[in-house]
Amino acid sequence: MAETHSSPTSEVENIGLLGRFWRGRIWYGTEWYITTFGGLILLAIILMTVFAPWLAPFDPNQFIGAQFTPPGHGKQALLARAGEAPPVDLSDLSGQVIGVQRNRNGANLARELGAKGKRYQTQEDLLAALLDGEVDLIFVDQELAPEIVASYDGLEIVAEGLGRSYPLGTDNLGRDIVSRLIWGARTVLGVALTSALFSSIIGITLGLISGFVSGFLDRVLSLMMDSIYSFPGLLLAIAMVVMLGPGLLNVAVAVSVIYIPTFFRVVRGQVLSVKEELYVEAARSLGAKPLTILTRYIFPNVIPSVVVVFSLNVADAILTEAGLSFVGLGLPPDVPDWGYDLSKGQSFLVAGQWWLITFPGIMITLVAAGFSLLGEGLSEILNPRLVKG
Amino acid sequence: MSPALRRYIIVRVLLTIPMVLILVSLVFIVLRVLPGDPAVAILREGASEEQLASFRAALGLDKPLHVQYVEFLTGVLRFDFGYSMTRKVPVTREIKTFFPATVELALASMFVTAVVGIFSGAFAAQHRKSPADYAIRILSIILYSLPIFWLGLMLQMTFGTGLGWLPVSNRLSPGMAPKEVITGLYTIDAILTGDWALFKDAASHLVLPALTLGLVLAGIFTRLTRANMLDVLEQDFITAGRARGLRERVLVYKHGLRNAFIPIVTLLGLQFALLLAGAILTETTFSWPGMGRLVVDRIYDRDFTTVQGAILFFALLVAGISLVVDILYGFLDPRIRY
Repeated sequence: MAETHSSPTSEVENIGLLGRFWRGRIWYGTEWYITTFGGLILLAIILMTVFAPWLAPFDPNQFIGAQFTPPGHGKQALLARAGEAPPVDLSDLSGQVIGVQRNRNGANLARELGAKGKRYQTQEDLLAALLDGEVDLIFVDQELAPEIVASYDGLEIVAEGLGRSYPLGTDNLGRDIVSRLIWGARTVLGVALTSALFSSIIGITLGLISGFVSGFLDRVLSLMMDSIYSFPGLLLAIAMVVMLGPGLLNVAVAVSVIYIPTFFRVVRGQVLSVKEELYVEAARSLGAKPLTILTRYIFPNVIPSVVVVFSLNVADAILTEAGLSFVGLGLPPDVPDWGYDLSKGQSFLVAGQWWLITFPGIMITLVAAGFSLLGEGLSEILNPRLVKG
Repeated sequence: MSPALRRYIIVRVLLTIPMVLILVSLVFIVLRVLPGDPAVAILREGASEEQLASFRAALGLDKPLHVQYVEFLTGVLRFDFGYSMTRKVPVTREIKTFFPATVELALASMFVTAVVGIFSGAFAAQHRKSPADYAIRILSIILYSLPIFWLGLMLQMTFGTGLGWLPVSNRLSPGMAPKEVITGLYTIDAILTGDWALFKDAASHLVLPALTLGLVLAGIFTRLTRANMLDVLEQDFITAGRARGLRERVLVYKHGLRNAFIPIVTLLGLQFALLLAGAILTETTFSWPGMGRLVVDRIYDRDFTTVQGAILFFALLVAGISLVVDILYGFLDPRIRY
């Protein structure tokens, strides 16, 4: 340890960026943990969107499995009549005739393995076909196999764990939910970030001008922004999407309009207080042009609040986008989107297919909470006097 | 009424005029000026030129924009939103049918929000920086990060279809109807007419939607209460009370909360836009026949006039509510003056 004692500053430099970040927990206490926790959630989601093509097991729009496969299910067991199981090469089932139940994962598996699937409507038909000798082998869901073998005499399990399972199940069209969640993150983050970018650019610009120029323009702009702010945002977005039509960019624009006032108000308020500061007056008396004062002296002071508002705004935009999709006004159906999946999945809730809506909802909450936590923590860290802790 | 207060109220009422004008213009811009033809939006692609033309003529959409704008404004001023295109009744009558349901839902949700929000917020403020405080704060962030409709669906799944305790859609069971519609709020009407079977039915239908909307908003409200309570608890009279040996619970919940109440209630008024936006989603989730449901359903029915009228009604409502809240604030807090 002796060599690090050269000077106190070098020690700080030696710990590097990550080290300094880790040390932040001491200065900022619990807020640091909140921010970091939010940031980590977001980091995970962002990594997920970047690596979606490699992470997602399937194409999000591909009808890969049977409809409504429950989470973790999907694997198949191969059954035969007890004692007369024909020798089967499990690695090559092509040429075999295997009894399958229509619209179940076994039907897909038989097709994929090159076997000829003989389809039956119900499980009873399928079992009867096997027992009557119509087929020599049948696929049944692995989870059902032990029960079936136990309740019917003369059946045995030839092989288990065939095919693939779907960790979070499949939806009403047999699409893999995990893949839809992973690809959906791209859509949701894309729309939310684009819209937050739009609203921040417009809101900051107007806020800077309004606060700096003041007078009549400020009054008119403020009144306009207050009016938009007081209007239920979702309703405004609904009206705009109805008029503009569905589509990624249109949804982003519609969502962005409702958050312009938030940026405007925060920036304007900051400008009003900052422009009275002595150093601004000093710059003015030294002959700095208004534009220079605005961009070099005032704008940097606005950035911390804007960062906070941006983060909270993205959280809100995610919820609004999901709300739009939920009322059926979001994106085209071929774009994987959590809100859309939720709205489609709700009609199957009564039948007990809970997994269609549970997981997209968890994802939306997670991402929105991530951005909120990040924003909350940042607001305490960046503007300790602005928000009461 | 002091002259200053009178002046404040007059100025505030006058300021409502430009606000209504801006809101109505905003709706006009969105529905008429933005790229995207209402005729095409409503009739969809593939409508013939004649269909589009007759649609435009029927609504006056073929006139120059400034003429449309004047007609639009005069319509709003006369509270005339035209006729529903699918139901052939005045849009105002449609609003009259659907609005009470939204009011009932909004009031019940506000009650949930206030109870949950005030108590958890005050508790968090009392135990500032304790694990309970952080737990409440994080929980409130999670609450308002919940998509309202998803929370609604989860509650439906648990208490509705799962446990079978509560109904999950509509305001009343099939076959039930209020004997007499007085306020349009079925629970209130049932009490007024003494119809307890109806009250039980209406209330049981109200529980889940109100809980859904109320809990999500409680997330925000907890935060506001906590911040305001912290302000109050720092003040001298609390310290003085503590020095006199008052119990902490009395200090926080009696003296503290009472003084934090004014800003809290006002802030609840300011959250009104959020409440309405949330109501749209809650109504859609629970098939609650309110204004949000009206807008969403009529978008599918391509009933342009009703959608336009309902949105305009929302605009007027918002202006009216913010006026009432501001005037109340003026009464409660003498520092608020123009």
